[in-house]
Amino acid sequence: MPFETRPLRQSDYNYFPSTCPIVIDNGGSAFRIGWAGESDPRITFRNVVQRPRHKATGETVTIVGDHDPALMKYFDCTRSFQRSAFDGNVVYQFEIMEYILDYGFERMGADGPEVDGHTNTEPVTKIEYDSWHMKFEAEQVDHPVLITECACNPVQSRAKLAELLFETYGVPSVAFGVDAAFSYVYNQQLGICDRDGIAICSGFSTSHAFPMVSGEPVFEACCRTNIGGYHVTDYLKQLLSLKYPNHVSSITWEKVEELKMEHCYVALDYFSEAKVFQKGAKEAEEKMRCWQLPWVPPPSEEPPSEEELARKAAIKEKQGQRLREMAAAKRSSRILELENEFQGLEFLLQQLENVQESDIASFLSRTGYVSRQEIESALARVTQSLRKARGEQTDIEEKMEPSTSEKYPLIDLPDNILSPEQLKEKKRQLFLKTTSEGRQRAKQKKFEEELERERQNQQDEEKRSLLEIYQASKILNLEMCAWNLSKPVNNKFVIHTSFIVGRTLSFIYNSYVQNIKKFSEKVEQRKRLKTNGSHTNGNNNISGAVGRGERLNAAQRERMRLLTTAAFDRGKGEDTFGAREEDWQLYKLMSKDNDDDDEGPDENEVELNRITCRLQEIDPTFVAKSDAGSVLATEIPRLRPLTKEDFQIILGVERFRCPEVLFQPNMINIDQAGLDEMAGISIRRLPSKGDRLERSINNSIFLTGGSCLFPGIVERVEAGIRKIRPFELPIRVVRASDPILDAWRGAAAVAAAPCFQMQTFSRQDFYEKGEDWLRSSSQRWGFGFQGMRGRCIIAEASHMCYGASPFVNLKEMLVPRMRFNHASPHSFTS
Amino acid sequence: MESEVVESEMVVPQHLSFKRVQMSDKYPKGQSRGRHWKHLKQIIQAENYQSYPPNQPNYVNIESPPSIYPSKKFCDITGFEAPYVDPRTNIRYADAEVFKLVRSLPNEYIQRYLALRNAAVVLK
Repeated sequence: MPFETRPLRQSDYNYFPSTCPIVIDNGGSAFRIGWAGESDPRITFRNVVQRPRHKATGETVTIVGDHDPALMKYFDCTRSFQRSAFDGNVVYQFEIMEYILDYGFERMGADGPEVDGHTNTEPVTKIEYDSWHMKFEAEQVDHPVLITECACNPVQSRAKLAELLFETYGVPSVAFGVDAAFSYVYNQQLGICDRDGIAICSGFSTSHAFPMVSGEPVFEACCRTNIGGYHVTDYLKQLLSLKYPNHVSSITWEKVEELKMEHCYVALDYFSEAKVFQKGAKEAEEKMRCWQLPWVPPPSEEPPSEEELARKAAIKEKQGQRLREMAAAKRSSRILELENEFQGLEFLLQQLENVQESDIASFLSRTGYVSRQEIESALARVTQSLRKARGEQTDIEEKMEPSTSEKYPLIDLPDNILSPEQLKEKKRQLFLKTTSEGRQRAKQKKFEEELERERQNQQDEEKRSLLEIYQASKILNLEMCAWNLSKPVNNKFVIHTSFIVGRTLSFIYNSYVQNIKKFSEKVEQRKRLKTNGSHTNGNNNISGAVGRGERLNAAQRERMRLLTTAAFDRGKGEDTFGAREEDWQLYKLMSKDNDDDDEGPDENEVELNRITCRLQEIDPTFVAKSDAGSVLATEIPRLRPLTKEDFQIILGVERFRCPEVLFQPNMINIDQAGLDEMAGISIRRLPSKGDRLERSINNSIFLTGGSCLFPGIVERVEAGIRKIRPFELPIRVVRASDPILDAWRGAAAVAAAPCFQMQTFSRQDFYEKGEDWLRSSSQRWGFGFQGMRGRCIIAEASHMCYGASPFVNLKEMLVPRMRFNHASPHSFTS
Repeated sequence: MESEVVESEMVVPQHLSFKRVQMSDKYPKGQSRGRHWKHLKQIIQAENYQSYPPNQPNYVNIESPPSIYPSKKFCDITGFEAPYVDPRTNIRYADAEVFKLVRSLPNEYIQRYLALRNAAVVLK
C-alpha cells in the first residue's frame, strides 16, 4: 500500500454511547477501525509497527503504519524494521498487536480530553456530562469490540487477543468473525450474490474458499492455500531486481506494490498470453509497460570554440618558449664552463712543456693529475663535450677508436716499469677489455645468425612455392596434353592457356585454404585441450565447470591435484616416498615454473599465421575466420554513455506472470491448489449437498479480498471452475463491490444489529470461565468460539434482524445513530 | 522532540489514559523480551490438533491439497513455457537465446533465480 497521509485523530469519540460497538478489520496488510453502523472505517493504516530510536533524545519510540519518509531523518532505523504481528494469517506477536491497537484506539479519540483540542468544550446536558465524565475517569475502552480473524484461528491466538482486549483495554465484550463471511453478507444485502454460494477470499498472505449455505459460512468445507498478495508482490520484486541489477535500490517494496496494483493482470490462459510475448508481436509491445526512473541527461560536451583553441595554443606556445629559453641558457652556461676547463687544460699542457723532466712528477702531483696522458685524455674529453654542446656532429667511430688505447692505457706497458698498484689496475683493465670484446663478438655472431635464419626462411619459402608451382605445373602438363590432342585454333589457345593458368592458381589457392583449415583445427584442438584437460583422468565433473575448474588448464589442474593429494595424503602404511627415483619427479611437476604450455607460440599456430599471411598476399579479400574462436571474437561491450533507456524498467511478461502464482502456486514451490481449484475442493468437502444446493452454489461464486482486484481474475476463475465442475452447470462468478473494504462494512452492519449484544463474549465470561471456556466451547460446538458466535451473528444479522428487505431496514436503523455521529462539536459550541 | 515530528503525530504516546496497564509497565525497559511469543508452528503444535476428530475443521486440516494438475514448467528467466532444462545449472529455459543468457549469468544470479522456486542449492 502506498504512503498515505496519517489519519487524523477523531474528535467525536465521546459522543458515542458505550453500547456502540467498535469494529476492527484486522487484516494482514491493513488495519481498519471504525464505528458500527457507519459506511466506512474511520481509520485505516498499514498493519505494521516500527520502533526506531529517536536520534536527539535516544529513546525508543513507536511508529505504527506508514509515515512520511521525510521525517525519518530524525530517527535511527539501523536496527529496527517494519514488523507485523502476523505469522502467516495468525496473530502471534501480541506486543506488536498492542501497539497497533493502542494507535487505533488513540486515533479514534479514546485518549479523551487530555490531549484533545476540545478539552474546554462544556457538555451541554447533564446526561452528556455524566457520560463524558465517566469515560474520562474510566481508564478503559468502554465499547464492545468486533474484530476479524482468520478462519479456524487457533484457540491460543484468539484467547490471547481476548485477554489483551479485556485486561489491558477493559473492553466489556468481544466478538470475532471471519472477514470473507462479512464481505459475503454485505454483498448479499447489496444483491450481488445469493444466499447460497462460495466465498473465495484472497488476502495478503493466504487465500480461503468456503461455501456459504443460507448465508452461513460452512467451515467444515473451508480450504486454505498459503498464497496471497504478499507472494505476488515479492515475486515481482525479485524478478525485477534480477532483471535490473543496476536499479535494485529503486525497486522498493512500496514501489513494487504500487506497480502491481497499477499494471498487473490475470491472463485467461497463461501460455497463450506468454506466446504473444515470445513472438514479440506488436500486440505484445502494446502490452508492455514502462516505468521511467528519474534520469538527468548528462551535460553534452560542446566542441571548444575558436577563441578557446587560440587561447590554448597561445598558452602552449608561451610555455614552449619558456622551456626553450631555459634550455638555451643552460647550454650556453655549460659551453662557457667547458671552454674554461679547456683553456685551463691547455694552459696546463703549455706549462708542462716548460717544466723540466725532473720536476714533472712534483708538478703533476700539485695539479692532481697522474700523467701527461691523463691530462691529454681529459682535454680530449672536454673537446668532445664542447663540440657536442655546441651541436656539432661527433663521430662515434672516431670516439670509439682512440678510446681503446685510452681506456686501457696500462695494457701495452711492460710489467717491469709498473708499480704493484698499477699492476693490479692493469689486470683489471685486461679483464675488462677481454669481456667487452667477448660481448662484441657475441653480438656480431647473433646478428649473423639472424641473417642466416632470414635467409633460411626465404629459401624455405621459395622451396615451398616451387613445390606448389611444381604441383600446379603437373596439372598444367596434363592440361597441355589434353590440349595437344584437341589441336585448337589460335584464339582458342589463348582462352585455353588462360583457363589453365586460372585452374593452376585456383589449385594453389585451394591448397592454401585447406592448409589453413587443417592448422586452425589443430590449433583449436590444442586450445581446447589446454582448458578442458584430456578428460582421460575422469574428473570431468559437471558442477566444477561453473566454478574454478573452468579457468584452469589441464596442466594447472593436474598440479592442483598433486598438491591436494600431497597435502591430505597421510599414508596409513609405511611411508615409502622417495625410495624410488621417480618419486622425486613429483616436485618438478608441482613446481610453478612447470608450465611448458606458455613457452611461446605453438608451431601449428606459427604455421597457420604463415599461411594466412601468404594467402592474404595472393587474395587481399581473404579473411581468416575462426569458427571455434567465436567466444574470443565476441567483443566486450564498450562503455557508452547511459541513456534514458537505461533508466527504464519494462514490465512485460511480469504483468501477468506474477498474479499467476495465485492460480499456480507451484511456480513458487507452494504445493497447493490455486484459487479456481479451491472452489472445487470446498464443494467437494461440503458434508451434505443436494443437487439443488450444488446448482445454486455454483451460481454465486463470490470473489473478495485485495488480491481479487486484478483485472481478468473473474474470467479466469470462471474458466478454471468450468474445467472442474460438471458439464453445462450454470456458473456465475462475481466480484465484491469493493473487495478491500466490504469485509469491514459487513462487520459494521452486523455489529449495528440490535441482536449483536447477545452474541458477544463478555468480560465476565472471560473472568469466570477463562481461556478454557474457549477451548471447551470450541469442542462443544465444533466450530470454535468464532464459529459459534460468528455464525450466529451472521445468521441473525442477515435474516432475523433485517427481515425481507434487509438493506433498507438496515439503513433506517442506522439513521438515528448517523445523526448522532454527525453532531459535531461545532453544534455544541455554537 | 522536533516540532515537525510532534505535529505529524507519528509517534504513539507513551501514556494512554484508556489503558488499564501501560506499555511501560507491561514490558519494562531493560528486560529481555522477544522470543516469548510462540510462532505459528509452535502454536499449532501446542494446539494438539491430532487429538481432535478429523471431521472438525481446524487451522491445519483446512489447508488445500496439492493441485490435481501436473505442474507446468516455466522458463525461470522469461516466464515462457520451458521445454528444456540446463543440466549444469538446473535452470529451465525457453529457447537458445535464453540459454545463452543462462550460461553467461554468474552463479549468484543463477542461484537467485532458482531460489524463486525454492530450488537453489543451499550449503549448510
